[in-house]
Amino acid sequence: MSSALINVDEDQLEPTLQSILDQKTLRWIFVGGKGGVGKTTTSCSLAIQLAKVRRSVLLISTDPAHNLSDAFSQKFGKEARLVNGFTNLSAMEIDPNGSIQELMGQAEEGEGPAAGMGGMMQDLAFAIPGIDEAMSFAEVLKQVKSLSYETIIFDTAPTGHTLRFLQFPTVLEKALAKISQLSSQFGPMLNGLLGANGSLPNGANLPEMMEKLEGLRETISEVNTQFKDENMTTFVCVCIPEFLSLYETERMIQELASYQIDTHCIVVNQLLFPKAGSECEQCNARRKMQKKYLEQIEELYDEFNVVKMPLLVEEVRGKERLEKFSEMLITPYVPPAGGL
Amino acid sequence: MPSLLVVVFVLQLTIHLVNTFGASTINSLLWNIYNSLPTPTSKSASEQKELKRQFIKIRTELNATSSQDEFARWAKLRRQHDKLLEQVEKNKATLDSTKTTFDSVVSTLRWLGTNGLRMFLQFWFQKEPMFWIPKGWAPYYAEWLLSFPRAPVGSISIQAWSLACMAIILLVSDALVAIFALVVGSASATKTGKPMKVPSGEKEKATAQTEKKEL
Repeated sequence: MSSALINVDEDQLEPTLQSILDQKTLRWIFVGGKGGVGKTTTSCSLAIQLAKVRRSVLLISTDPAHNLSDAFSQKFGKEARLVNGFTNLSAMEIDPNGSIQELMGQAEEGEGPAAGMGGMMQDLAFAIPGIDEAMSFAEVLKQVKSLSYETIIFDTAPTGHTLRFLQFPTVLEKALAKISQLSSQFGPMLNGLLGANGSLPNGANLPEMMEKLEGLRETISEVNTQFKDENMTTFVCVCIPEFLSLYETERMIQELASYQIDTHCIVVNQLLFPKAGSECEQCNARRKMQKKYLEQIEELYDEFNVVKMPLLVEEVRGKERLEKFSEMLITPYVPPAGGL
Repeated sequence: MPSLLVVVFVLQLTIHLVNTFGASTINSLLWNIYNSLPTPTSKSASEQKELKRQFIKIRTELNATSSQDEFARWAKLRRQHDKLLEQVEKNKATLDSTKTTFDSVVSTLRWLGTNGLRMFLQFWFQKEPMFWIPKGWAPYYAEWLLSFPRAPVGSISIQAWSLACMAIILLVSDALVAIFALVVGSASATKTGKPMKVPSGEKEKATAQTEKKEL
């Protein structure tokens, strides 16, 4: 981090996301917050800024209500695709609720992570709670790893969803450890029943299947350790200066701390800056309320980079507008003089 | 060594007292005494008390703080609150497990000291006469009953002596309780015995109502 940028006079950290751009070791960046606070806009802007200083950047949306396509006015799918007008910024949209039927279908065609499991054992493996979501997650991670992006930005779903998503590695690791243990205990007995080569009814192979599950577990635990490393992963909280949003943000920060996931940036979005002598009654009243919560945020999160983003008069859509908006993540917005 | 007669009497008295006050009361009393001594658990118990005190203080503060008007203060209190709650619960779990062990040990010792000791004495001294009764005082079947089961005929067996002690203790304790109740009851009766002052109008009304009811 360049120390020149830190304002030495005040105790507060610089109000920009420069620290994220400067931290070259960062590999995973999560952007999360309550619904409708501007997560997608923020993550797109951050991705654009990162693309300027990194070799390659991937933006992934895990929100079931995909907005990346809207933000960039371009259709994205389950495969990573370059964003129009960029050479090192790609985007993809995945559904963390990837239906189990889909995975089963894949398995029957001999693809996907569940391929090669017999019907009965497949049912058994899919009985683990949350495994469908975890498997699609693992699939994405595998893809991401093989594609070797320098930085991956996750545009996550609204709060509750995000945290569940981050918990999967732990849950799955536990479940798979149980299965592996069971198979090593009862494997020999099952093999005795099934015949010398250990083949299951549908032509599957018990040891082979266990190997597959074990591989999945290894991928996930590796990612898990990376998520807990503050040099590789950070979480950017997006909020608006309103009570409920603040409340959710505080809750999220506490929960992230309990998962040992680093977070040191808060983006406060949709700030109103009425011009001097503005007659707009609503704007002035709202500005007052927002000011109150902003003061509270600065008091509470004195160890965070608190970035203040203004509410614009136009929708932030399309490459040019996003680029313009993203500038404000790095160089703080200066409100019109003489305002409230 | 005091006389066996006295030992048996004291033992029966102890059993009776334990039964009257209840085992759990005695256990908690012993637990409190144990904690006031310089034992390892006493430290964590006093810590727990202090933690609980702090927790309640912070909770009242949290409830008195408006989350909408002073969000920063509220959130900081909330963090402290959550941290303390976690600590209190963790501490409570360890203390509870210690208390369970303590309770079971104390219960075993108490049983051994009272009923166990009684059984042992009754078994060990079953052939021993407590004392002899003058010949001809009681008919033979009564003598046989008093020496039941294995003491020589003409003497009082330890079982008979125990029963007698128990009966006397029960009688005396019942009498004491009755006297106590009488004294306390009469004292409270004189206190509340005065009729309430009722304004005359209302009194008339009240009597009218009762009359109505009687009709």
